[in-house]
Amino acid sequence: MGKYLIKSLLQMVPVLFLISAIVFVLVHVTGDPVNLMLPETATAEDRAVLSEALGLDRPLYVQFGLFLFNAIQGDFGHSFHYGQSALPLVLERLPASFQLAGAGMLIATLIAIPLGIISALKRNTYLDLFISGLSALGKGMPNFWTGIMLILLFSVILGIFPVSGKGGPEHLVLPAITLGAGIAAQMTRLIRASMLEILNQEYIRTARSKGLLETIVIFKHALRNGLIPVVTIMGLQFTSLIGGTLVTETVFSWPGLGQLLVSAVNTHDMSIVQAAVFVIAIIVLVVNLLTDIVYRYLDPRIKYS
Amino acid sequence: MLVVTGCGNAAETKNETQTNGGTASAPAGADKTTLTIANSTDIESFDTHNNNNTMSEAVLVNVFDYLLKNDDEQNKVPVLATSWEQVNDTTWRLKLREGVKFHNGDPFTAADVKFSLERVAKDTTLKQNTYYKHIKEVNVIDDYTVDIITETPDPIMLNRLSRMGAGILPSKYIEENGMEAFLKAPVGTGPYKFSKWTKDDRIELVKNADYFGGTPKWENVVFRSIPEASTRVSELLTGGVDIAAGVPATDIARIDGVDGLSVEQAKIQRVLHIIMRMTEGSITADPKVREAIDLAIDNQVIIDSIAGGAGIPTRTSVTPGNFGSDPSLYDTFEYDQERARALLKEAGYENGAKVSFSASVQYKEVAEVVAAMLTDVGFEVNLEILEASSFSEKLNSKKFNELFLLGVGNSLFDASNNYNRFKKENAAGETDYNNPEVEELLQSALQNMNLADREKQYQKVQQQFTVDRPTIYLYQMKGIYGVGAGISYTPRLDEMYYAEDITLK
Repeated sequence: MGKYLIKSLLQMVPVLFLISAIVFVLVHVTGDPVNLMLPETATAEDRAVLSEALGLDRPLYVQFGLFLFNAIQGDFGHSFHYGQSALPLVLERLPASFQLAGAGMLIATLIAIPLGIISALKRNTYLDLFISGLSALGKGMPNFWTGIMLILLFSVILGIFPVSGKGGPEHLVLPAITLGAGIAAQMTRLIRASMLEILNQEYIRTARSKGLLETIVIFKHALRNGLIPVVTIMGLQFTSLIGGTLVTETVFSWPGLGQLLVSAVNTHDMSIVQAAVFVIAIIVLVVNLLTDIVYRYLDPRIKYS
Repeated sequence: MLVVTGCGNAAETKNETQTNGGTASAPAGADKTTLTIANSTDIESFDTHNNNNTMSEAVLVNVFDYLLKNDDEQNKVPVLATSWEQVNDTTWRLKLREGVKFHNGDPFTAADVKFSLERVAKDTTLKQNTYYKHIKEVNVIDDYTVDIITETPDPIMLNRLSRMGAGILPSKYIEENGMEAFLKAPVGTGPYKFSKWTKDDRIELVKNADYFGGTPKWENVVFRSIPEASTRVSELLTGGVDIAAGVPATDIARIDGVDGLSVEQAKIQRVLHIIMRMTEGSITADPKVREAIDLAIDNQVIIDSIAGGAGIPTRTSVTPGNFGSDPSLYDTFEYDQERARALLKEAGYENGAKVSFSASVQYKEVAEVVAAMLTDVGFEVNLEILEASSFSEKLNSKKFNELFLLGVGNSLFDASNNYNRFKKENAAGETDYNNPEVEELLQSALQNMNLADREKQYQKVQQQFTVDRPTIYLYQMKGIYGVGAGISYTPRLDEMYYAEDITLK
């Protein structure tokens, strides 16, 4: 296990290098930030002066070399937009993103696990049909629409939750439901399928025939195995939530990484884009590793080499 | 200058009367001490010299002061300068206000003026540099007197000193702590002090009890950034914010229907242009084609159908309130489809005239209606809608073809700003507009210290533009603001939020 960890961590280095290189090239070939920084009345001379001041007139490989050299020391350069170091600006957004992604996952899990289990146990009944319908609906609703509807109902009409912004836990409820609804739908179907498969297996029948309580059969034997694929999905979903909750963040004006990244792309704020992608990449790699470890815990048959 | 479209920030208040308003709007009692304003975007930073959009300035004016500012009617009124005079063509002498303190306690003196203006004039990486780079130096005469020396005569120095890039920063504080530290804990001389900034969420300001202009009206002022327009409106409806900027025309009825809430509309400094390429060989090089385009467009229909009536048709971008405006070209437009068709025929395009037309996604609907109107009279329009950043990129590298749509603002309140892109040097490769007579007028007006004569020069240019048509104008835009119960707010032409001017009813 220790060896496996070290190996996995070492494997991250070339992956991060590749990601940085790809992002660096993409950001630099898609547009010149100087054009977006200067007012349009600026002259060609103004442009040249600013380009030189920012080091953008140098060959790309020199710029990349300098970027790598500094990045290793945690310096991703200055944000053109904010006039501050890029990395702290990105890290400052992480808590908000983790909060939202975590709350979304929590809500999704709270909805999906009971619904998935009930649906599997009561398969092909009206209840199962109802839950399937519900999850199809949940999957089909765009986040944008869900968010606006939740605001209308719970904030404008009922006045229970604040409309938008980041503050106390009450601010988290509506965006987390918006995010969680779609994921819950997907997870419910997965848990149902996985439970169905397991409930048919030999060892469950054995457990039942031994006269074990149904609840013990379900929760101790079936659920533990049924959750294995779910863990993978949760890991994948969580990582996609970290950088990809833009729509929800926009609707609820939630100051997460998604908003930062998109506005940085729009303003060609290169150092922010690079730092943000780098940080997201690390999170994805770490979460994948954790997923592997949880997987192993849930299913000791899996061996790591 | 291209102004990024902005709208408001909504602010959440800590005020008890305001939290969780389930009803239409929270009562604004005498205990209401927090003003909350919602824009669509956040500020760029607290560096007033390194910002380039109106939304940022609208917030920063509450923290930083200028030497002078515009009142409601664009008259220059004293702020940190108490008086000013022109010593000679290239020297302005300003007397400074005594007894003013920065938020950290440092006294405001001539050294701060020298530091601030020379910084924005010399540092070419600052976004406001182009508006100030001709300031040669600022001479400190004594602690409360400065001379501003320009390279060439500058008739609009006072306009420059009363806008964004001329915010006065604390020299001692920045020299001792560095710019990065300043940006984390900015201090100015304004009526409100920086308290907290959660980026893309909210900026919290508290009142500066030592403000030279008297005790500020609000204990706290909060600027929130809420990108989604319907969320901003919902915040207003629930009392979460007092003012919501950038209300969509379709939401006006929703706000008006609620007791106590109101919708305020105000002209802003932005005019929609359709800019045309006059390069030899392009179809729009033919004056008849340009005239046909002008006549094909029904400006009022666009205003009514797209902007919900929030606009005023115009044949010039130098609208009233700006130096050099020509009122005869305002609140009017030309529209004659028959004549447009005839002109196209005369120009030899009986079987369809192909033009390309580019616009940013922000003006997508306007562009679509314009394209339809052009198609009606016989054009074949190749409409290209671009994301904001690709649009700016193409605009600045002058890659558009025959036509493109642009919203142009004017924070200088002077006609010179409207014609920069049409000066020969700048027009090259873009419109390729070249009228020697206009060029001479524009060049001369840039340095003409005789204001009456200078005004006539710009009026002549405007009249000539209605003939040459290197661009045609659609309309002057209006800002639409939702205003909460108990709040008295008159939006300004310059879109600034001076919290001191926003009061309880």
